[in-house]
Amino acid sequence: MNAIDGSSHVEVNATGQTPSLLTIVIDTNPRGWAALKDTLPFSKAIANILVFINAHLAFGNDNQVAVLAAHSNKAVWLYPKSPHSDREPNGSTDGDVEMKDVDDDKDRGNANKYPQFSAIESSILSSLQSLIKSTLPSTLPPTTLIAGALSQSLSHIHKTSLSFAPPKASTDPAAPSTAVTLTPSQPTLHARILIVSVSDSEPSQYIPTMNAVFAASHARIPIDTLSLSQHCSPTFLQQAAVITGGVFLSAALNPRGLLTYLMFGLLADAEARNSVTLPTQDSVDFRAACFCHRKVVDTGFVCSICLSIFCEVPQGAECLTCGTKLALGSYGANPAVVPRKKKKRKKALNGVMDRDASGSAAGTPVPG
Amino acid sequence: MSVNANSSQLSEYLERLPGTTFRRLYQQPSTAFAIFRRMLPHLAKTIVMAMLYMPTPFLLSDLEIWVKPTAKRQKDQALSILRALHIIAVTVPCRETPQSMTLTANFKSSLRFALEGGGDHNSFGVPSQLPIAADVDIAFLDKYARKKWDDILHFVVNSVGLIDSRSDGSNGPKASVKDLLMAGRLVERKGASSTMNITQAGFTFLLQEANSQVWTLLLLWLEAADHANKEGHHTGMESVDMLSFLFLLASLELGRAYSTDALTEPRRNMIPYLVDFGLIYIPHHDRRQYFPTRLATTLTSSESSLRSVSAGFTAASEGMGGAQDSNAIILETNFRMYGYTSSPLQIAVLALFCDLKMRFQELVSGKLTRQSVRRAVDMGITADQIISYLATHAHEQMHRVAASAKKSLLPTVIVDQIRLWQLDTERMATTNGFLFKEFDDYKEYISVVTFADEIGVLQWRNDRKGMFFITYAGLSQVKDFVKNKNKEKKAGK
Amino acid sequence: MADSDGEYQADDGSDAEFGAHQVSSSHDTRGRSRKDGGKGGRKPAKAAWEDIQRSWDAVVEGADGTLTGAIEGLAEAEKRTRLMRDTTPLQRGIIRHLVLVLDMSFYMLEKDLLPSRHELTMAYACEFVREFFEQNPISQLAIVGMRDGIAVRISDMGGNPAEHLERLQGWVKQDPEGNPSLQNALEMCRGALFHTPSHGTREVLIIYGAMMSSDPGDIHETIVSLITDKIRVSIVGLGAQVAICAELCKKTNGGDESAYNIAQHENNFRDLMLAVTTPPVTRTKEQSNASLLMMGFPSRVLTTGNTINFCTCHNRPTREGYNCTRCGSHVCRLPAECPGCGLTLILSTHLARSYHHLFPLRNWVEVPWSQAHSSEACYACLTPFPKRDNNKKGKDKTKDHTKPKEKAKGLSESSRYACEVCRNHFCIDCDLFAHEVLHNCPGCQSDARGMSTGEEAAHTNGNTDGAMEVDS
Repeated sequence: MNAIDGSSHVEVNATGQTPSLLTIVIDTNPRGWAALKDTLPFSKAIANILVFINAHLAFGNDNQVAVLAAHSNKAVWLYPKSPHSDREPNGSTDGDVEMKDVDDDKDRGNANKYPQFSAIESSILSSLQSLIKSTLPSTLPPTTLIAGALSQSLSHIHKTSLSFAPPKASTDPAAPSTAVTLTPSQPTLHARILIVSVSDSEPSQYIPTMNAVFAASHARIPIDTLSLSQHCSPTFLQQAAVITGGVFLSAALNPRGLLTYLMFGLLADAEARNSVTLPTQDSVDFRAACFCHRKVVDTGFVCSICLSIFCEVPQGAECLTCGTKLALGSYGANPAVVPRKKKKRKKALNGVMDRDASGSAAGTPVPG
Repeated sequence: MSVNANSSQLSEYLERLPGTTFRRLYQQPSTAFAIFRRMLPHLAKTIVMAMLYMPTPFLLSDLEIWVKPTAKRQKDQALSILRALHIIAVTVPCRETPQSMTLTANFKSSLRFALEGGGDHNSFGVPSQLPIAADVDIAFLDKYARKKWDDILHFVVNSVGLIDSRSDGSNGPKASVKDLLMAGRLVERKGASSTMNITQAGFTFLLQEANSQVWTLLLLWLEAADHANKEGHHTGMESVDMLSFLFLLASLELGRAYSTDALTEPRRNMIPYLVDFGLIYIPHHDRRQYFPTRLATTLTSSESSLRSVSAGFTAASEGMGGAQDSNAIILETNFRMYGYTSSPLQIAVLALFCDLKMRFQELVSGKLTRQSVRRAVDMGITADQIISYLATHAHEQMHRVAASAKKSLLPTVIVDQIRLWQLDTERMATTNGFLFKEFDDYKEYISVVTFADEIGVLQWRNDRKGMFFITYAGLSQVKDFVKNKNKEKKAGK
Repeated sequence: MADSDGEYQADDGSDAEFGAHQVSSSHDTRGRSRKDGGKGGRKPAKAAWEDIQRSWDAVVEGADGTLTGAIEGLAEAEKRTRLMRDTTPLQRGIIRHLVLVLDMSFYMLEKDLLPSRHELTMAYACEFVREFFEQNPISQLAIVGMRDGIAVRISDMGGNPAEHLERLQGWVKQDPEGNPSLQNALEMCRGALFHTPSHGTREVLIIYGAMMSSDPGDIHETIVSLITDKIRVSIVGLGAQVAICAELCKKTNGGDESAYNIAQHENNFRDLMLAVTTPPVTRTKEQSNASLLMMGFPSRVLTTGNTINFCTCHNRPTREGYNCTRCGSHVCRLPAECPGCGLTLILSTHLARSYHHLFPLRNWVEVPWSQAHSSEACYACLTPFPKRDNNKKGKDKTKDHTKPKEKAKGLSESSRYACEVCRNHFCIDCDLFAHEVLHNCPGCQSDARGMSTGEEAAHTNGNTDGAMEVDS
């Protein structure tokens, strides 16, 4: 009936699901959660996220999960637990030990829960507790260290994917491991990152965040973001979603529906994303802010040496960041706009120069 | 019961169960969880998860929008499986309200329980509070399970007559297991002599991976229990309860002791059987504890993690002195085959279809030849079985090379050649199923045949004659479809 | 096994399936091709063939008589050497104009690089194009081939990787033939780079497999005009060193000979090619070319309702795209030059992608055992570190041979590497990842206490604090 000829090869492929690693970065900025207190208390959000983690793990035994907290003053691992947390001076060690005992007991006695789930849950909760304990009300910068959490999670994903990679990577000294990450012929591990964000993007973290985002897009790791806060819009994360092909969802209108947002919009992993339409953003703001006045511009001037952005030609056509004397580009630039408004610029200039002094000192020395 | 070549016997078994059985099965969260994990394709899992916390029914039209048009086929397959397993209920189409689907109530609440924890169903096993004997560790359990299972396999292999009866002390599996194997026609007694002969189903059984073998045997056991109940013997066991107990076992943790006291009476009755299969270990000194072995805890695992199962087994058998199955066959494009094993069982299985040339300490090498494959085919082994055996036991290196070079796991030339060798002798393949013909008009024929094609049950069609043939499994859905169609037509008139 | 000419035989595939064999044969290749190929002119005093490397001498048996330890050590050392490069922040030419010249003469049919020189070059060229635009998103590239004594234009100067890849694909199946002409190719490059603005770099990368060049005129004249046009040439040779290539590179790079390299084996070839994707260091003489560029930063827009826009760049219907900030033309992908008014349109993220070249992450230092006790696992990936006790056992025996050797390669005895700012310890894989891909220190970024001290954190990570802000 069906004769075998050259055209109908029967391919025997290694079947089975590709394991999927989900890294969740929870923005634990106390200010952000305080603002959400009435609609979605932190504890409830964590409970919802735990259900989401369990749902991810339920997809298959190979699925893995890693959870980080991006706190206001540090980024820490919640699961797997970092051995570093033990030597944190802030966390009282005996408290930790007590916690563990309690968890173990609970763990042992619970016949109503899948063992893997309860292990992860107790680890996350105890790490969170010690994190909250160590937070002092006096030292609360309004930032969240998203960049650090992203860097850590990417390193972790990188390491994990190395263990799944073809043998060449680990055994052959002539083919160093990065060769594999540079050209992922076929991913042996689907990794993705989900950020649950409650705070604004911090401008000072722009470059580290973007470095992390490009590293992610290089490794084809989508960065998904669920933004809960109504007043803040994490612009960098929005851009991150576009660059890495992830999903950006804003649950600001109805933070109570967190779980539904998570389960419907963000549970689909790389395999399912091939067949499911993802929520898209209608417009993404890619405009830049100039270095001189922090004005948002859509057309600006860029120094060809250090790529600083200016909203108008700087005084004396000298770059404010690297101090290079700049020739005006031939194209587009309007030669008549050599500016004169000295007063205003001086003020702004000073602000910028102060800040940039640190950068340029080590940043770009003039080569001799 | 016939044993199928593919490993989807469990789904076939489940799909034959009536809806009420499912309702009872899904009362237990671990069952709902295990079925979700093991039986559903990826997209179906995604759909279920999306619906799990959705307050309103999911409109089919919304689903249509959500799933990309390119994945329509996967979507239809996912839906048909979900319906067959009674996980979703789809409303009957009618004019006023659009068609929508919901998760069945039991499944929904059980899966929620599984994810959230809570409740008092105790379906993830009650751990024993008694002290555990020090020598019962994971390695010990692996060794124990390995030995039990090898005994069963040896019993089947011995009936081939390729290797002599084993010299070491153990005397094979228990009589009950032997009966089961015979009832399932894996082996049969030939004529008056008491020698056992392996059947084709037996070969299929041998060539499966460990996990499918376990399920094959367990399903035989379930059927036997059903059969006994029907004939009026009171066994105290009921297949639904047995099935949920198996799923419970699958969710337990390896190396941990669980309490037998917390089990119901019928379940305690099942334990001796499970001990015979090697799924459970009960220490001699303390009968109130039971330990699930790796065979049990991986019942609902996906395939790739099963590779690690045999890795665990290998580690265990190293302690026994002499490596056993380590899943290590390398197949080259020049038809040479290298098997990293020194277990007589594995070698015997390989010898069924391969000309073994050399044997070393932990390696046998041989060649696939026309003669050897023909011999296997004459014994009743099919090419598909050989190929799937080679694929499931492929060496880690082959997996890696295939993954990194985006090639197929086994060399295509070999796979084709094995099939061609088989075609030399037999030129027909049979599929059980149903023929649909004599449609009212061509349009109706086309709509039904397209539907059958989309849900993946179509085997053959002839547009000119207006008839087509579908597999056994697809009958109910196609029937439903035709019924709905007729209803619509009537309503239209 | 070790001394067979494995590479030259038609391989039946069995070797490739054993990982262990690959290790030995790749060592082998390196040793041999050094004999053939010379060493790229680094040490002209000593002929390359006098310096024979016996790969088996480098392998030292561990205390337990196996090679595992030694092989792992080698692997780690290899990784580390790639890292030990200068991290002084240098001014680099971020806006680049580069012509990739591929040899397509019959010399490329040689099979000393597997599967063949031509196929390998084509594969690496595709990788090069991708990597180049990854690293230099606001740069331009053109591709030229040398074939049949003439220069063939494969793709024109442009900033879109997809177009270059498409054109390259068309040439993969064509067998190379004829002689190459270096002069013709260089003249074509000169033409392609002639119009490029002076603030960008002008570079040529040549992949050269031949031992000769069949030129219509005097190539030295061409070299002189290249120097006048400030075009830098770097060459990756596949066979042996050729005098004219060395001269060409030396003269166009201001006396620097490091631009001419001979590929020793497949992986070395790849590394040499991809090394060119890093923006070149700016030389003093080119300083005056710095200029201020006008650029547009359009936002992404989706068309509303059922309308569809046609993009002005390809005349294809699109639903999403970018509008030129000056004239409003609809462009489907960035970076691009507005077809309407010629304004350079980029995303601010494209600029951000280049910052790490300007502010590189500092190298991390090895951690001796005396300081290793403070950490048990890598800070970033949580992989546990080896404990000291394990090492002590084989101490007397292994330390004697291995330690001085490892030290020389910058390998840490405790497998820990520390960032000098945040003092956290990392494993070798994370070290590599952080410096090659991520360009962030996971430790410094994860601790605000370090950042609040301000200056230190900012300058060691090379991130000018708040150098750029994007608002909504």
